[in-house]
Amino acid sequence: MIIDYLVLSIILFCLGIVGVISRRNVFTVFMAIELMLNAANLAFIALSRLHESMDGQVLAMLVMAVAAAEAALALAVVILLHKHTGKLDTNVFSLLKG
Amino acid sequence: MIAQWLFFGFATLAVLGALGLVLFRHPMNGAMCFIVTLISLAGLYALLSASLLFALQLIVYAGAIMSLILFIIMFLNIQITDLPEEKGRWTFFFGGIVLIAPIGLFLLKIVKTLPESSTTIIGDNFGGVKKVGMVLFRDWLLPFEIVSILLLVALVGAVVLAGKKEMAS
Repeated sequence: MIIDYLVLSIILFCLGIVGVISRRNVFTVFMAIELMLNAANLAFIALSRLHESMDGQVLAMLVMAVAAAEAALALAVVILLHKHTGKLDTNVFSLLKG
Repeated sequence: MIAQWLFFGFATLAVLGALGLVLFRHPMNGAMCFIVTLISLAGLYALLSASLLFALQLIVYAGAIMSLILFIIMFLNIQITDLPEEKGRWTFFFGGIVLIAPIGLFLLKIVKTLPESSTTIIGDNFGGVKKVGMVLFRDWLLPFEIVSILLLVALVGAVVLAGKKEMAS
């Protein structure tokens, strides 16, 4: 039974990676990263149920806090880039290429 | 038995929502699908008897973070013509699946070696506020404080980034 939860978490994580590498929309890429964080959370909580200890759930809470901080910063960056170029294409955002 | 059916229902909804997120062209549709995934993940947490995480997933993730993302998507007022032209989307999608499949199968093989255990709901307040809080403030105090500093830094950074620039010159 626990294995089913872990398999689901692997499927969600792989879908998140596929979303990151196959899409060019900034928002979709960002939400695919959030999907990967959620898959990791599911694995943490399933393993916490397996060992009947609380540490996995505490780690999942910390991951949620990190995701909230990431959302705030990433969305501010997206607004700035949209103001700057008027586009939402990740291929346009190559300012660091030199 | 009913937990089994609930698990399959929530798992199907979660995978369908993730597929919708990856495949829909407009980010608004993708965000709506992603909310379905988040809510069904909350149901799975409840099945794993993590009651505090169930509430936090609904309030913080599906409530706060996703409404922030939806607000920004609506704020930018994205028309269908503003979206990037993704001609090779399907090619990249199937190519990505081919690329990721070996890693996924490897992880599956690792998971299969774990011991089998049932997921019946544990009583005794497992996953409740008191037990999680005890572990959080006793064993994980330092990471907790570091996360609070991280949130403060993200707050200041977001204000600096999105705020109005007032140059001196």
